[in-house]
Amino acid sequence: MLAPFDVPYMQSALLAGLLISVPCGLLGVWVVLRGLAFFSHAVGVATFPGVVLGLGFPALGPFAGSLLAAGAFGAAVSSIETDHRLRGGAVTGLALAAAMATGAVLLTTVAKVSTPIESVLFGSLLGISGLDIVRCAVVAVLAIAALALTWPRLAASTFDRAWAAPAGARSARTDALLLVLLGLTVVTALPAVGSLLVSGLLVIPPATARLLCDRLGAMTACAVALCAAEIVIGLAVARELNVAPGASIAAVGGIGFAVAAAFSAGRSAWSGRAVNA
Amino acid sequence: MSAAESAPGPSDTVTVDRLSVSFGGRPALSEVGFALTGGTFAGVLGPNGAGKTTLLRALLGLLPVTGTVDLRGRTAYVPQLATASEAFPIDALGVVVMGRYPRLGWRRRPGRGDRSLAAGLLEQVGLADRARSPFGTLSGGQRQRVLVARALAQEGDVLLLDEPLTGIDGPSQATILEVIGAQRAQGKTVVMTTHDLGQAARECDRLLLLNRTLIADGTAGEVLTPAVLRRAYEAEVVMLDGGAAIIDEGAHHSSHSH
Repeated sequence: MLAPFDVPYMQSALLAGLLISVPCGLLGVWVVLRGLAFFSHAVGVATFPGVVLGLGFPALGPFAGSLLAAGAFGAAVSSIETDHRLRGGAVTGLALAAAMATGAVLLTTVAKVSTPIESVLFGSLLGISGLDIVRCAVVAVLAIAALALTWPRLAASTFDRAWAAPAGARSARTDALLLVLLGLTVVTALPAVGSLLVSGLLVIPPATARLLCDRLGAMTACAVALCAAEIVIGLAVARELNVAPGASIAAVGGIGFAVAAAFSAGRSAWSGRAVNA
Repeated sequence: MSAAESAPGPSDTVTVDRLSVSFGGRPALSEVGFALTGGTFAGVLGPNGAGKTTLLRALLGLLPVTGTVDLRGRTAYVPQLATASEAFPIDALGVVVMGRYPRLGWRRRPGRGDRSLAAGLLEQVGLADRARSPFGTLSGGQRQRVLVARALAQEGDVLLLDEPLTGIDGPSQATILEVIGAQRAQGKTVVMTTHDLGQAARECDRLLLLNRTLIADGTAGEVLTPAVLRRAYEAEVVMLDGGAAIIDEGAHHSSHSH
């Protein structure tokens, strides 16, 4: 089990992965419960042109580049989506396409990138620096602190927005905080899992956890644990099979989800039989 | 009683004067005025789109309004059942405990006292045995009773309920009406929107008939007359042997229970 982690670059990836599983699991719960799965995938994809620019211009760097791209994406989507005729993900979808197209154009014109493109899209085991690990730790601490402060308000406004607003849980502020944290987490997770598969960490573990848990606290703990397990196994698989870590991590998550779905279906069939008997 | 004159009296808990609300230039409510005293159970009636929910939201201070809304004390609110997510991972007791947060200020964690108060309220709505059941697994009537218990946990002076009896089973309706009766007995003001005129006439001691403005305000005998109903419901009223029948699509669609 530990054999794949016998080299320093794998240990860096493991440490970064375990740290990022905390904000991914914590925020992923709200991504799933608030229907932000598509949005979070789109934020990941939207970082692509930023990463390309950052790699092409070392003065900018991929982290700052992706942060700028995620911020621009969030601002664009939230300003255009105020038009009620375009609700329901249309704006997110078109901004996603625009970002991907911009990245593709930049890649062959402005920015000369030596990094293999599949590393940008699906992540790399080799790309995790000490600075990445620090960023993962900082985002983990930020997510824990922010969620600890806003937890009841987030819960109330996610469960029943019509009640929460008059009850004093101002949702505009908590909504904005959630989106900023989501953007930071996506950008920080990019080097390991890539632009296209970052939502594998933000969506699959909490969705799996929801099938297994009926309380918010349990679901959250389960999501973080599943996220960490998914990363550890996915990294090991990536090294053994020599595939991109984003892909192996998402695949492990998908298998975990399938097992949980089968278990959940079996459990409800069993309890249905017990009730009918 | 005249709707236009509503200077606040000493025992009035809710005073609304010349209240108007519009959405994007379209008037939703105009020049609504009434006053309610403690212990009143007011039913807000009117056709679909009459502004019933808008009136509750204006009373809660959620909408930009012109005119004045003077509400003494704290509010407690039961929004329409469909607003609460059935997918959210929370049990019935958790929902009621959530009702303590407005009092606690959203930063303090509910303590043992809050939890036992919440458990007592679940018992009051007849759901003591479902405290640990996931909210999404409860029937419509049970979910509505949980939301009423959550509002009671707010310990408000004015209880506002949006269609609390619509689309739920008879026993749940009876339980909710019992709880409302207990609140009135404590001197609290209760305002409920409803589609069911007959039920409102039986249960409420004050009816407010809306259709973008206050058409009538008074007791059932004063408000539920053919002439007044025709003004509020317009084409939806059919006259039968001097009585009035209302073809209410909204009530029709939402009357199948779970």
